Amino acid sequence: MSFFAGFFLALWAGVKQIFKHRYTLRYPEQKLDILMIDNQKSGGYEFDAKKQVGTAGFKGRHILYMDKCTGCSLCAIACEGIADCIDMVKVDKSFVQNKKSQFPQIDYGRCVFCGFCVDACPFDCLFETPFYELATTDKRSLVHTPEMLSEYPQLKGEYAKFIPDEKRGAHHG
Amino acid sequence: MDTFEEFLKRVITIAFWVLLLGPIIILPIILLVLPPLGVQVEVANRLLTALIDPFAMLRLVDSLGIGPSSLFFKIAVFPGFTFAALFSTAVILYERKLLAKMQNRVGPQYAGKFEGILQPIAELFKLMFKEILTPERTDKPFFWAVPFLAIAVGGALLALIPLSPEIYIAKSEIGLVIIFAILSFTPLIVLIAGWASANKFSFIGGLRALHLLISYEIPLILSALGVVMLSGSLDLMKIVQAQANIWFIVPQFVGAGVFFVTMLAELERIPFDLAEADSEIVAGWYTEYSGMHFGALQLANYIKLYGLTLLFTLLFLGGWNGPAILPPLVWLFIKLFIVISFVLALRGTNTRVRIDQLIKLGWVYLIFLAFANLFIALTVASLGIV
Amino acid sequence: MEVVDQEGRTLTFSVGPQHPGSGHFRLIVKVDGDYIVDAKPDPGYVHRGAEKMSEERTYIQNIPHLERPVIIDSSGILFPYVLAVEELLGVEAPSRAQYIRIIMAELNRIISHTYWLSIYGIFLGHSTMFMWPMGDRELFIDLAESIGGTRVTFSYFVPGGVRNDLPQGFKERALKTCDYFEKRLKEYDRIFFSNPMFLKRTRGVGVLKREDAIKIGATGPNLRASGVLSDTRKDEPYSSYDTIKWEIPVRKEGDAYARAMVRFQELFDSLDIIGQALNLIPDGPVKIPMRGQIKGKVGESFARTEAARGTMFYHIISDGATHPYRVKISVPSFRNLSAIPFLLKGNHLADMPAIYWGLDYWPVEADK
Repeated sequence: MSFFAGFFLALWAGVKQIFKHRYTLRYPEQKLDILMIDNQKSGGYEFDAKKQVGTAGFKGRHILYMDKCTGCSLCAIACEGIADCIDMVKVDKSFVQNKKSQFPQIDYGRCVFCGFCVDACPFDCLFETPFYELATTDKRSLVHTPEMLSEYPQLKGEYAKFIPDEKRGAHHG
Repeated sequence: MDTFEEFLKRVITIAFWVLLLGPIIILPIILLVLPPLGVQVEVANRLLTALIDPFAMLRLVDSLGIGPSSLFFKIAVFPGFTFAALFSTAVILYERKLLAKMQNRVGPQYAGKFEGILQPIAELFKLMFKEILTPERTDKPFFWAVPFLAIAVGGALLALIPLSPEIYIAKSEIGLVIIFAILSFTPLIVLIAGWASANKFSFIGGLRALHLLISYEIPLILSALGVVMLSGSLDLMKIVQAQANIWFIVPQFVGAGVFFVTMLAELERIPFDLAEADSEIVAGWYTEYSGMHFGALQLANYIKLYGLTLLFTLLFLGGWNGPAILPPLVWLFIKLFIVISFVLALRGTNTRVRIDQLIKLGWVYLIFLAFANLFIALTVASLGIV
Repeated sequence: MEVVDQEGRTLTFSVGPQHPGSGHFRLIVKVDGDYIVDAKPDPGYVHRGAEKMSEERTYIQNIPHLERPVIIDSSGILFPYVLAVEELLGVEAPSRAQYIRIIMAELNRIISHTYWLSIYGIFLGHSTMFMWPMGDRELFIDLAESIGGTRVTFSYFVPGGVRNDLPQGFKERALKTCDYFEKRLKEYDRIFFSNPMFLKRTRGVGVLKREDAIKIGATGPNLRASGVLSDTRKDEPYSSYDTIKWEIPVRKEGDAYARAMVRFQELFDSLDIIGQALNLIPDGPVKIPMRGQIKGKVGESFARTEAARGTMFYHIISDGATHPYRVKISVPSFRNLSAIPFLLKGNHLADMPAIYWGLDYWPVEADK
């Protein structure tokens, strides 16, 4: 008899789930709210070179502050053994703090988004943003030049909040 | 021609030119040139009136022998093959959405504006345009024949099951025996499919399905025997009429349970789908089928599901009997919906059985329960309760 | 796939790398009807020389490299590496960093075990048990993402501590998620672990007795399911595990059911550990500042931790340069590999998924 009891309990557990919310996030109409725990204004991973410790955040596309970068290429050296995706390239504009006028260029076809380049920068000018929609249709456009990296990306879309409703199941609104 | 797409393009081009040039050339001849010569073309006149007047269309179609009350209509459209095929595709979509809701996710959602309602049609088109691969070392005539044989078995089942006292395709005094005889043709089809595709996994799958189907035929027939005893005839119409007072599931609950379990085994559904065990033998006996060939096999599977659940409803749940507020056909479909939901929900909550546990279940436990059921039926019948 | 047919009875085929039931791993199986006569594993399909490659990278550049073999349990394979390098450098991580490492390691254990559970469900034919753990696992991946920044392979541990502190509001959210998941585990129990059909398929299947388990060198939950009370977190406590109290789940039967139940109980234990660690965590720095290249002192060091699949062991030899001289990794999946042919002989072919996946063998980790 315990066979039938276990059998019908299993069926009941399955049927009960029909009346609860579904967990699915309907991307791309809804986007996951990765700034869910609001820690800082930007939401991306940042590193403080003086205190040598980072701030929790999402590791997405990088942002380069060209008015602070001196072209020391420590980020390129840090990436050499990991993904080898940062190259120093020359830029047309001239900056006061950057004599050789060279800035990092990141190839997102190779980047693994580990963030060690952010850790390596001593001048707080390379951070990461919570932008992750980098897909394109050809490989050449995955190489982001320093000018492309210096524009803060537009985060658009409707963010869905996560609601851990205990009675009717967790869902995304 | 290379692909199905080019074939379709040619057919559509020919049809387009015929439909364009036909009326432009032929109609003026019939309407303007011939009558002054004294020739009236009868069929063309009737055809033209039928295009405008629906009742004239009905009369024309009746006179040609394919009207709504003719046998051709019953076999091909309702309650025959077309209706069964459409119902099966609806069941496929319902199964996917029900399982999705049970599993905490959304099923098909993009085909069709409302929650993926056009998904079966999208899949039909996809399967039609895929290439049908035939491996080199297969036994080609048998390999090609299998899906059509499977559909033929499913369709033949439906021919003997009435949907209401007036709607039926064929009537017979021994309808139940004919249905079981048709069902017992399935193991042969599976064996042919497993052997003719020259593939080790198909072979293992075919043998497993053969074990499964043969072991569960005897309990299937025995469990229906109790119903025959209580109603006194093998004719499905009379069985339903005998349930006017009480549905047979009440005195025959053991038999109904055995019939339900063996029905799942005959349909090769979870928990008995070891012929198609995804993780062990890729896809069992239909590994090598692709394209519309595969689509035909799936259609046959779901037509058999429709036929067998209909049989369960007629034998145990009182068929089309019910209070007179709704027509009998609607009652039948309500009960059918409940039985199908139950069969589909079982898919979500169970694991597969192993082959030796399955054979023990079929030959030992179920036959014992079916015989016990027969004794219960004899007792109930002799006490005159039913 | 060749057919070798001795007296017409046995059939040899390979549950090969291209099979929905095996992962990147080849198992050459000889069957006689439905009984398995012999099963030879053939690992090495995804070998890429990770240990040799790690000799060309500095200590910090090794961190993303060594995480990749087990991407679902990446903190498990990285933890002993940072412990060994810290021993070479002669430093110890600050106390807050140790508790954060515990939280991250237990989150990864939950993520790995729910993945195992969902694949176990689909191997046995239970499609609902495939979807539910995958869905609930996302809750924990989101939690780990809020700390580490990515969904898998966080590169979060460094020698000297962890890279960043916990975000604000993490404690409330983590406790809410753990409560929600504990209630869901009751439903899992009803629909799967107490389902009579599951019991019939796994009770008494693939029994590994206590002496045999110790002899072939099984490790992790497989060892604990055979009656051996052994867990590295309790035997040689590391990184403040000795301040946390919990009971190790041990079962005596040694069959597939026992292995499944040990992992199920470990899910409950991990939730408990995360709750305790969040309450005990002290304030303070999370990282010892290190500037410049890390150069270890000349010598060797080793460290051992408990990953999700068993005991993970690292041995690092350094000659004072910025690159390690030799990194030797001993992975739990490779230790469990000898249990596969031992258990499969003489069993039904239909039991193969229940036994093979029940041992939780991760081919990429075993091949490195």
